[in-house]
Amino acid sequence: MGSLLRPWRDPAFRLLAAALTIAGFTLTTMLLLRAELEARFAVRTAQALGGDLVLSGTHPPSPTQRALVAPVRHATVIEFSTALVHGEVPLLVSARAVAEDYPLYGALSAASGRFQPPTDMPGAPPPGELWVEPQVLDRLGLEVGSQIAIGARNLEITAVLHRLPDTGAGFYGMSPRVLFNLVELDATEVLGPGSRAEYRLLIGATADVDLASLATSLRSTLRADQRLEDVAEAAVRSLGPLRQLTLWAKLGVLLVSLLCGAAIHLATGQRVARRARLAGLLRTFGASRRQVVTRLLGRELGAVLPAAALGTLAGIVTVGLLRRVLNWEQPWASGTPELSAAIMGPLLLWVGFALPRLAALTQVPPLAVLRHSLRPRPLSSAIELAAALAVPGLLATLLTDSMAELGTLLLSMAALAALLPLLLWPLLKGLDLAGTRLPLPARLAIRRLARRPTLALPLLAALTLAMTTLLLSGLIGNRLLADWQAKLPAQAPNHFVLNLFTEDLDTYRTWLAGQGGRGEPLYPVVRGRLVTVDDQPVRAAVTKEDDTQARALNRDLSLTEGADLPASNRILAGRWPPGADGVSVEQELAERLGLTLNTRLQFVTSQGIVKTRVTSIRQVDWESFEPNFYFMFDTGALAGQDITWLTGFWLPPGDGARIATLLSRLPHVTVLDVQALLAQAQNIAAQASRATALLAGLLMVSALLVLAAAVRGGERDRGRDNALLRTLGGDSALLHRVAWLEFTVLGGASALCAIALATAVLYPLSQRLDLALPITSGWLTLPPVLALLVAAAGITASRRALRRPTVALLRGG
Amino acid sequence: MPDTAPAPPLLEARGLGKQVTAPEGALTLLHDIDIELAAGASLAVTGPSGSGKSTLLGLLAGLDTPTSGWVRVQGEEFSALDEDARARLRGALCAFVFQEFHLVDDLTAWENVALPLELQRAPGARHCAREWLQRVGLGHRLGHFPATLSGGEQQRVALARAFAVGPRLLFADEPTGSLDRTNSAHIQDLLFELNRETDAALVLVTHDATLAARCERRLRLEDGCIQELPDPVRLVKA
Repeated sequence: MGSLLRPWRDPAFRLLAAALTIAGFTLTTMLLLRAELEARFAVRTAQALGGDLVLSGTHPPSPTQRALVAPVRHATVIEFSTALVHGEVPLLVSARAVAEDYPLYGALSAASGRFQPPTDMPGAPPPGELWVEPQVLDRLGLEVGSQIAIGARNLEITAVLHRLPDTGAGFYGMSPRVLFNLVELDATEVLGPGSRAEYRLLIGATADVDLASLATSLRSTLRADQRLEDVAEAAVRSLGPLRQLTLWAKLGVLLVSLLCGAAIHLATGQRVARRARLAGLLRTFGASRRQVVTRLLGRELGAVLPAAALGTLAGIVTVGLLRRVLNWEQPWASGTPELSAAIMGPLLLWVGFALPRLAALTQVPPLAVLRHSLRPRPLSSAIELAAALAVPGLLATLLTDSMAELGTLLLSMAALAALLPLLLWPLLKGLDLAGTRLPLPARLAIRRLARRPTLALPLLAALTLAMTTLLLSGLIGNRLLADWQAKLPAQAPNHFVLNLFTEDLDTYRTWLAGQGGRGEPLYPVVRGRLVTVDDQPVRAAVTKEDDTQARALNRDLSLTEGADLPASNRILAGRWPPGADGVSVEQELAERLGLTLNTRLQFVTSQGIVKTRVTSIRQVDWESFEPNFYFMFDTGALAGQDITWLTGFWLPPGDGARIATLLSRLPHVTVLDVQALLAQAQNIAAQASRATALLAGLLMVSALLVLAAAVRGGERDRGRDNALLRTLGGDSALLHRVAWLEFTVLGGASALCAIALATAVLYPLSQRLDLALPITSGWLTLPPVLALLVAAAGITASRRALRRPTVALLRGG
Repeated sequence: MPDTAPAPPLLEARGLGKQVTAPEGALTLLHDIDIELAAGASLAVTGPSGSGKSTLLGLLAGLDTPTSGWVRVQGEEFSALDEDARARLRGALCAFVFQEFHLVDDLTAWENVALPLELQRAPGARHCAREWLQRVGLGHRLGHFPATLSGGEQQRVALARAFAVGPRLLFADEPTGSLDRTNSAHIQDLLFELNRETDAALVLVTHDATLAARCERRLRLEDGCIQELPDPVRLVKA
């Protein structure tokens, strides 16, 4: 035990251990969080998808399709957005009508009361019953046993939903869910022609069914509004956004780990210098290389293991706390693979960055003791280089699970590692050249940095990156949404209303006038799908198609018509109004789909084919919060189609009772409360911002660790220079001034670069939003404060070098 | 006519001793040394390894503090001063040449020579440094960093740095210890030539008997005590 504790007396070892702990913590947190997030948001495997095959569309499956799946185990699900009203309080919910066979896979988890423990339910809710998520009870002040109406049908709340096996993410996912039996759907009278709903046919595999041939048969019957998903493609698609989101976090974690690796490398250099005498002596006493390895390297490994384990443990505890805070009730998604990778990560760092240096101890010849030349030679610079290059690759492999993501991660890493120092080099040289006329302390300080570019540039890059990330997370945080809200006009619509039928318009107008609200223009909405571009099937015509566009084309689009161009729209090319045979297309979509003026388009709607051609390209300010559309036709062009109406309105501040009045009169319409949506989006943004800040904080700590390791590594030379200055007549004030200036220049240059970098990143955003740039914000003080922290850390690390006695110069020091 | 009092010696040490604490108890490195040294005089301190040569040099130069006795330089007692005041006194009166050269790696030859002058805030430091480098034959190496200079060249820069400040006292610790025979001879010649020209007193620690022989007086230490010269040593330039 004593031999395991002994290395901790060495400051270099404590530095190395701190680096391993931080690396272990960040890697573990990232690996476990990835598993948890993927399980929570994106695992649309057979259970999450709801079946082995899922046929979905905005209209019911055709009789042919029903006949095809009839012999197979299947269940029908219809999902739509509606409002529940209790007393005067309305609540937007995601309603799901399910058939008796639902769910095909997994089980519904529900409880008999608000605070009762959930149990797995045998099947779908019986007729007449409504199962609701706890928020519905809380927000409407209801309890199990209460009656509540969905549209025209009263249902009794009999269970509290805790988990649906096929819970998807997306917009509907933001509203609390309610579940009832499909046989009640007609009685609710909520859905009519043109209503927005999703019809899903879940199909389960059985031993006697050939799913592949069923899928082929179903694909041949697909309408434009339908799609058929199988397990593999669903899993890949739903993971996409999450992967993009976590890619940046992974890059951050990789940077933290590599900075820790650099600190480990530098600290190990000092360990080796101190252990060399012992290694030489052991060899002199006849110890074989193997014995040296066992005694020195074995003990070193034994001592670093607790440090790595501490980091891993801290990571596990953090993710556990996060699960509690976020109320994640599912069992841990991370298992042996994630934990193994989490344990392996810090050890990889040690093997890659410390072991090749430590191995030099085995090369110390016995004769070295006699010759007093105990500095061990590196084992092989080729091995050290190979290890330093291999470790980032291996760590990235641990963090990713696809070659494409691995490639992106490594490329981003390489770009950062190469570009940032390259950009900073002229700055350092410029400082050195400009410093020739500065007073002696400043010149000495700058020269110390400029003469060690291999150390100063990575440090400068690491500190710049950490400060930039901290600055950005502080500046952006959840301000993007807040500033955007602030920019909206005083009476910008704060509600949207969807699914109004033509016969509802008078009721709606009367209600709005009665509430003193201000309405936006009403837009007719026809659900349609783009099927051909210049008479080519849309998939063949759109060559730049990617996953996002594929999804844009796979869903119904809202088509509208109007005589006036909305205020937030601007015609970029062509004419307005579009004319009887024309349509105006939003600029970005047109660009993505390759649409230009006169491109011929065909849409499929519930009433058949709509043929048209592009007569104008429009720029749309999506942040204006007015109703906006990708495709706008001329007045009358959509006559004869199934139409619902969409509009926005502004309501003076007040309670939700006013909306309840509207919903009691028009139960089938959907009213979206913009403030509530923004609050939820802001909450998500705030959580992401906190996670980024934590990562940036860890980056900063790692960068400071590297700084400390670098200073400690160069302690001998630094101490000798200080002793020399003192011998030549310099007093301690001068030595401290030089040291402070050196680290202040390092921190200050990083701070300046961080401000410049953050400004460059934020400038395009600030042009569109009222987003403060670093140079005009209170956050401007953060980089200088961090620069002082850098200076303080540097001074602390160089304490011993500052106290080096002058007499040491006479003793070969 | 009244008697004029004799000028105080440039360097004076009385009862100088140094003890350190080791695990096995107090260890005496130097014991009861008395030395007086006048301007322009040269003294070689010799002795076997561990005899206390470097310790004595450190105490005489104010780099270390004695545990007994005292050292005065031009009448100013080192022991009574704090670290910073000692540094200032050293800067004003003393210069050093070390076995390992001890140039600042981050500064060019020119900047290294100018360094002590700048520390003294001497006007024309750069100009003076250039002249001294030319003097030691390195006028063509002004902008070179120590790492690109040979051992002999580095020691010449160190000599230029030492003499550039016009020291009253020059302390040299094995100044030729890291040099080959040719360079060693060259540096010895240069050292004594410059010493004569500047009239600085020289205290030289060396193992090299040839080098020691070039000094006016020699002092041999063994186990921290003076072995070969009467006590006190009074060295006055002839």
